[in-house]
Amino acid sequence: MDFPLLTLIVFLPLLGAAAVALLGNARASAGRAVAAFVAVVDLGLVAWLAARFDVAGGMQFAEIAEWVPQAGITYYLAIDGMSLAMVALSALLTLLAIVASWKTDRNPALWFSMLLLLEVGMNGVFVAMDFVLFYVFWELVLVPMYFLIATWGGPRRQYAAVKFFLYTLFGSVFMLVGIIALYLQTGTFGILEMAGAGLDPSFQWWVFAAFFLGFAVKVPVFPLHTWLPDAHVEAPTAASVLLAGVLLKMGSYGFLRISLPILPDAAAEWSTFIAALAAVSIVYGAAVAFAQTDMKKLVAYSSISHMGFVMLGIASMTPEGLNGAVAVMFSHGVVTGMLFFLVGMVYDRTHTRMIAEVSGLSSKVPVAAGLMAFASFASLGLPGLSGFVGEFLSLVGAWGSDIPAGWVIVSVVGVLLAAAYMLWLVQRVVLGTPSDAVARIDDLGAREIAVLVPLVALTLIVGVYWDSLLRFTDPAVRAILVTMGGA
Amino acid sequence: MSEFLLLAPEIIVLAGALFALFADRVTHRPSAPAHIGAPLAAVAAAVALVIGTRGGILGGMIALDSVSLFSRVAIALLLAVWLRWVSGRGTGPERPAEAVAFAMLSAVGGMLMVSARDLIVFYISLELSTMPAYILMGHRRADARGLEGALKYFLLSMLTSLVMLYGLSFAYGISGSTSYADLGRLDGGVLGQLAVAFVLVGLFAKLSAAPFHYWTPDAYAGAPASSVAYVSTVPKVAGTVALVQLVAAFGANGATVTGVLVAGSLLSMAIGNLAAYPQTDLRRLMAYSGVAHSGYILLAVAAGGAGGHAAVFYAVAYAVPSMALMLLGAEEGTALDDLGGLAARRPAIAWSAVAWLLSLVGIPPMVGFFGKLLMFTAAVEGGLLWLVLVAVAMSVVSAGYYFRVLRVLFFGERLDAGTVTGKPAVAIAFGALTVATYALGVFASGVMEVFGLRF
Repeated sequence: MDFPLLTLIVFLPLLGAAAVALLGNARASAGRAVAAFVAVVDLGLVAWLAARFDVAGGMQFAEIAEWVPQAGITYYLAIDGMSLAMVALSALLTLLAIVASWKTDRNPALWFSMLLLLEVGMNGVFVAMDFVLFYVFWELVLVPMYFLIATWGGPRRQYAAVKFFLYTLFGSVFMLVGIIALYLQTGTFGILEMAGAGLDPSFQWWVFAAFFLGFAVKVPVFPLHTWLPDAHVEAPTAASVLLAGVLLKMGSYGFLRISLPILPDAAAEWSTFIAALAAVSIVYGAAVAFAQTDMKKLVAYSSISHMGFVMLGIASMTPEGLNGAVAVMFSHGVVTGMLFFLVGMVYDRTHTRMIAEVSGLSSKVPVAAGLMAFASFASLGLPGLSGFVGEFLSLVGAWGSDIPAGWVIVSVVGVLLAAAYMLWLVQRVVLGTPSDAVARIDDLGAREIAVLVPLVALTLIVGVYWDSLLRFTDPAVRAILVTMGGA
Repeated sequence: MSEFLLLAPEIIVLAGALFALFADRVTHRPSAPAHIGAPLAAVAAAVALVIGTRGGILGGMIALDSVSLFSRVAIALLLAVWLRWVSGRGTGPERPAEAVAFAMLSAVGGMLMVSARDLIVFYISLELSTMPAYILMGHRRADARGLEGALKYFLLSMLTSLVMLYGLSFAYGISGSTSYADLGRLDGGVLGQLAVAFVLVGLFAKLSAAPFHYWTPDAYAGAPASSVAYVSTVPKVAGTVALVQLVAAFGANGATVTGVLVAGSLLSMAIGNLAAYPQTDLRRLMAYSGVAHSGYILLAVAAGGAGGHAAVFYAVAYAVPSMALMLLGAEEGTALDDLGGLAARRPAIAWSAVAWLLSLVGIPPMVGFFGKLLMFTAAVEGGLLWLVLVAVAMSVVSAGYYFRVLRVLFFGERLDAGTVTGKPAVAIAFGALTVATYALGVFASGVMEVFGLRF
């Protein structure tokens, strides 16, 4: 531990947020420049870390300091391949969110400082290896997201923001009880120290239930998903991107980092139940997405469906399944981020998100239309694009596991549904004759294209060259399976 | 004589109170008593810290253990912050010097109560801490509602005090001694149990724990918000300490005590949180939220073990943001709508209020989270898992009404809003409370180690 790189990656945005807030609305253009600079530096630090990252090295860049020695609470940051993928996603999407919302004119100081504060929590969750620290970051995320939705959201923003906060808080307080129970059993708050501790199976079952509430609300797993459509529809574009792109992953990351390694017996007992909920989420999300008349709602429900594949992969508890889960998490962040950005860009021009009022984009705005089609194909899991990698691996893993085949078959139906609703969306929005709303709009500007290009590139790279992502995630998920005593 | 020197912090605050009463003989500035009192209270806290912990003094009637030390310092510092705010803003047109004097007298009572090891000392200091509070709550003579609330407070508080005194007389009758150390000799018979129950009734009322909380909303709603800021916080710290110490002393009646505490906790959490929901006045809202927080405190006390220290820590964790919010109410008006659009008018205060509110919900890294972590850990360890589950569910409920306040601060509008001019003294008070809200959380371990509190 020579240089506190992870601390810098986590807390640099906090300094940025303070600077932006102090600059205030009077010097907002300086403030947003600071915000973008901080986000660029943060992403650069993540890239630097990735370059020095030893793929086979397990947990690295560890920083441990005493925090509450009486109870064994430590300031413990460390990163493995799985965390690295998530932190990279968080740093990248934050930067893109800042660039995409460059023109925010209502209270810009608050806007950019909240985006950076959100990044602190998101980065922190994925590298905190102490339960109390993890919980601090977990809750920290709620506050800026509340303000992002409640200040810049749609007409029902207050309701959606509070609903988001209370739902997540409801889940996380039970997680806190689970953390307390684990501490009393093991005498430590260290996440990694608890892994493979061999706790009593019936005790594990109850703690798993407590964590399940916390994580499943966040993912979200049907039937705990009802906050998500409200939050997404009301949230401003950049907040939607980060909500879908990173915040949902915190839940599935929790399952992978905490529930599986620490509570392996309970995880095995719960796996069929989780697989069933995953399959229901996949089909339910897809079916409801079908019925949507609002593009943003469609993307929101498709998220529930995609996160179902993550849960299916996790429930399989096989190397393929877990790799698939992490791959879907990454890919969904990239692709859904792209879709939300595009929907936002179209909305900025047409002032409507209604599918019926937006059609024929391809003849008026070919760049936007092409990217929309590209993102839709990636979302439906076209081979060669990133969406396929994870869904394929998840299904392979689930098929080869103890999960009843019926649930896997139901999930495959979900893949078909996804193809159907995304293609139908492309047909209605991208193709056809231009509607009135589309008739006089301009195509994407350079800044908007700059936001989308990195996402397109990642979609292609991961989709074609799977190893670019899996070489990071595979050792990490295998380490998880080893602590579980299987595989 | 030298043993009396160990009570120097109390003597210093008492001197400040006496000065306040006669200040108008010396100076005509109405803010002089608070200006003098605030540094005196801070000095008292420093002196208490220097004195540290001592065994039994004055024939064993007083003892300074780590809990006494922590709460003595906390009470003195809370008083100092409150006086600092008063020195800038005042308590209103009527008899400002007396308000300062009574708050300081009440603090003396609280500081003695936390060190008491004898029922007589306990009862006298309890009365010393509550009597001035009645006057503080009703010191606007022309306000009929305020007087009604204060009278209600006075009558209910006196009634429960006397019930407690009755219980104490049983305890003396059985054990033949007024020392805490001999309370363990109370047998498990009917009289012993009655004694314990009566004492708990009195303490529940002081903590405004259900079902003896009825005085709180009316008394708070009728009183000046600045008085509520003091009365709703500082006496609660002292009351919690007394509860912890007496419960620890009631050895043989542990089962009865635990039963009563668990019932009180459940009732307080449920009634407080649910009744806070529809409130539109900050004082009533905070009154019910105070009932709820007493419920959490009772939960930790019922757990025993490390729960006692956790409860005392949490009483301070509750007092800090709560006092800040009521002082804000005293500045801006106590109807929730009065706080509308504060974020635009006073952004620094509004963002501080976010920390206070989230601390009361129990969101890290604020002090409320660490207090709850300590209490819930102790309670799960003490076998009260089911009650902890109720408590965490209730924290989510509480987030609902704290968010109503937050929403008004940031998204409400107030058309008739005047500009409240910032004053250095006020900024210092709010700044200190905000720093404490964060620092007591992040550095909870260091703070508890300094005072020797168990984790």
